[in-house]
Amino acid sequence: MKRTYRFFLLLYPRGHRDQFADEMTQVFEQAAAKSRAGGWAIHLRFAFSETAGLLAGAADAWLDRRPEAVPAAGESPALGWQPQELIEAQRRVDASVAAMVHAIAHHQFARARQLSNQERDARESLRVLREKYGDEYGMSL
Amino acid sequence: MRHVAIQDKPLTEPVLLILTSLAAHPRHGYALIQDIELLSGGRVRMSTGTLFGALRRLLEDGWIERFEQEDTSRQKQAYRLTAGGRKQLHLELDRMRQLTRAGFARLRASEAI
Repeated sequence: MKRTYRFFLLLYPRGHRDQFADEMTQVFEQAAAKSRAGGWAIHLRFAFSETAGLLAGAADAWLDRRPEAVPAAGESPALGWQPQELIEAQRRVDASVAAMVHAIAHHQFARARQLSNQERDARESLRVLREKYGDEYGMSL
Repeated sequence: MRHVAIQDKPLTEPVLLILTSLAAHPRHGYALIQDIELLSGGRVRMSTGTLFGALRRLLEDGWIERFEQEDTSRQKQAYRLTAGGRKQLHLELDRMRQLTRAGFARLRASEAI
């Protein structure tokens, strides 16, 4: 059951996993032990509730991700203009996230994992570009 | 200094329950699930997905903070309310109290007719 839980955690954005995956697994194991002691009906309801909570939580985590260092064009007075490659890199990240949310919503978990890797690569490219332009355009990294 | 977001919209139930649970003292994840079940009279058994989604948002808003517990319990990470989180909880409870008073006043008025 722990392995299944860890698998579902792969659906979360990397940042969320880095921050919470171990702690979530630990809490889940404690809660699972208690529900097992309550009998199979309680345990089944617990398993269903956890699965639904993880799917909803993963979708929510992707949708709720706060904007990071790159503000929208014209948003910051210090940034009247942004390099095109930076804008495109941000768009690639956004597109990966949107596709990932769609895959999760349609239970295409293999595809979601693939998109998670794609999103990680896109985010890394964005990070490199932010470092490249950070000083010049006053971006917080 | 960390930015603390203050919101005037009603809080969601998971957020309200977490803030209320942490109002007494800091708790780790599993203790939060247990206390929330107790607080809600057994009505709410929060899943880990819901709990940690809400905790993430509360951390980002600066309403709670995470720290390492010094005792020897199984879970090291614990959460506590910040001053901003306490203020937000006060605002929400005041709003609910005002609404509850108004609701009961209307009920009494209609039952007196």
